[in-house]
Amino acid sequence: MSITYLEAIRAAQAKALADDPRVFIYGQDVGAFGGAFKATKNLSEEFPGRVLDAPISEDAMIGSAIGAAIEGMRPIIEIQFADFSTTGFNQIVNHAAAFFWRTDVPCPITVRLPCGGTSGSGPFHSQSLEALYAHYPGLIVMTPATVEDAYSMLLEAVALDDPVIFCEHKFLYYHLKAERLPSEAMPVGKARIARPGRDMTIVAYSAMVHEALAVAEELATEGTEVEVVDLRSVKPLDTDTVVASVARTGRVLCVGEAWPWGGVTAEVVARIASEGFGLLDVPPQRLNAKDTPVPYHPNLWMVHRPTARSIGMAARNLLRM
Amino acid sequence: MPQLGESIAEATVIHLLAKPGDWVDADQDVMEVETNKATLNITSPCPGKVQKVLAKANESYPVGAVLGYLEVSDEDAARLGLDHVAPIDSEKGEQNGKAPAITEKQGVQPTVRGLPVPAHASGASYMSPRMKARMDELGLHAADLAGIAGSGAAGRVTIQDFENFLSSLEKHKLTHASSMRVAVADAMRRSWTRPLATVGLPVCIDALLAHRKQLDTKPGPALYALRALALALAENSAPAGRLIGNKIVHPPAIDIGVAVEAEDGVLVPVLRNADRRPLSEMVARYNELVALARQRRLPADATGGSIATVTNFGTFGLTWATPIPLPEQTLVLGLGAGRQAPNWDAQKNQFVPIMEANLTLSFDHRVLDGGAAGRLLARIAALMGEPEKL
Repeated sequence: MSITYLEAIRAAQAKALADDPRVFIYGQDVGAFGGAFKATKNLSEEFPGRVLDAPISEDAMIGSAIGAAIEGMRPIIEIQFADFSTTGFNQIVNHAAAFFWRTDVPCPITVRLPCGGTSGSGPFHSQSLEALYAHYPGLIVMTPATVEDAYSMLLEAVALDDPVIFCEHKFLYYHLKAERLPSEAMPVGKARIARPGRDMTIVAYSAMVHEALAVAEELATEGTEVEVVDLRSVKPLDTDTVVASVARTGRVLCVGEAWPWGGVTAEVVARIASEGFGLLDVPPQRLNAKDTPVPYHPNLWMVHRPTARSIGMAARNLLRM
Repeated sequence: MPQLGESIAEATVIHLLAKPGDWVDADQDVMEVETNKATLNITSPCPGKVQKVLAKANESYPVGAVLGYLEVSDEDAARLGLDHVAPIDSEKGEQNGKAPAITEKQGVQPTVRGLPVPAHASGASYMSPRMKARMDELGLHAADLAGIAGSGAAGRVTIQDFENFLSSLEKHKLTHASSMRVAVADAMRRSWTRPLATVGLPVCIDALLAHRKQLDTKPGPALYALRALALALAENSAPAGRLIGNKIVHPPAIDIGVAVEAEDGVLVPVLRNADRRPLSEMVARYNELVALARQRRLPADATGGSIATVTNFGTFGLTWATPIPLPEQTLVLGLGAGRQAPNWDAQKNQFVPIMEANLTLSFDHRVLDGGAAGRLLARIAALMGEPEKL
């Protein structure tokens, strides 16, 4: 039996609906249609009245879900593309994120954002917005890279009383498969050593973990052992695991698919520089998407985000320093 | 023409609502324009008098084009950032106080030039933070890295090179360096950061040896050199001064140290105010200090604070040496072993044997040059030629 990243997300939602009557799913086309990416396929039949279609207004949809959450429900909101969440940004960051701080009443929403692009998806169907949400206190931002994490972290997201931004990666939906679903998992806030190494560290999250692993495989044939750290959640960020890895290797490259300014890679490098300066044998490096809107043309898109090739070049530069 | 909306590049003027000579208020409509999305009005940015209108009805103008000129007060011009003279050319320049014409490109000038920090983390002299931390841990300095070949950028020593070097040391015979050895090593390393030079000349020590013979206490020849150095410095203390920035710091008292070999290193007991008492009165103290130093039982007040040092490397049989001054001192005077040497006697027109020893003076070349060093050394040699006056 093999299960894809998308199927794991669907299975997690099914389990959440089955285990907790307070859970419901709300999003555009999630009902009979089964969701834009089929993440909720058949769930509205299996759980009648618990998988609801929303109007085309993220503002209204998220606002309604927040209202339900503060009244005791546990909504899972599916946004069709992470890019569209910005039309409901105010609801998320000024209502959901701050609600518990202001009123002592938790707001346990889970917002599922399909992030990242594919060739031809263009500037409004490709964004990775984890840094935007991580910036606001009160939100938890998860960025699962594996099928197992997609399953267990979504279950944890629903169980947490905090509002959670669950950043799924579209590219991984159908391409990533696993043997079975896990029965236990590391808690949110802990990073995972995806591959142990000795000569340098690559810190990555979501789809970039797989690109980093490909680079590590290639460099291993040249006698270099690259350690890959999968952040799993960007907020809370597991600084300890990252700094411990740098302590082992002395060289670090942080890779993110989002834009450079103020991104997750900037945060990681800032923490390494201030907490682990004496561990660095070379200046810490970061690699991000180019600082332009995500291109539509396939030739431009191919060079816009980090790939195994560009990460490999950056890694080799780091080793030569 | 202001920016009228996202993706609007130009607009067509429909109606001119103000003409030259009209006074307009801030935000008053001056022109009606039409874009491909809507019809809107262009407003005046501040109160003023319409001086000139360049735009014509039913003509299309791009965003940034000059549509006319408004005469405004100096304060309003300053507030809008337009208190410099606008070019007369109507094709360029600023219009109505709004955004400058798009043909003028103003680059951002960097405000910081030539930062005095190394921009590149490479090169033999670069030590990474991790390297520095590891070296601090082991009590090492840059000098200790000198022998390690670097595999990093431009030959820098990486932490890997360093760790490999340290583990390769395991294969060699290792003995413990005493704390005295480590202390001397550190002092010499610090001293060597200065440009040091040495001058020397031979001195006839027959008179000195004869004088010494008639004393009961038999002081070492170094004491004669020490006393001569003290008197020479009392005459002119500048050569023993220290250079701090652009100031020469003169010595407060002529306290001279003498280097004594002690076990694994060197100790330097000090004779205070060596210019004030004659040699005969210093012999007992000198011999006492040397003995205590050899046994490493010098009291704390017997070392430190000297302004120059004398070293008798002749005791090792050496005729020539270039000692290194202490890091806090500018001068070290060295005396070599005496030996029989031929000396030309002009009167007898032949070589005659004399006892000769080399005097060397090593100095911090920042404080004095060869000339001053030479004059000092010559004066010392002359004083040593009349030992009864020391």
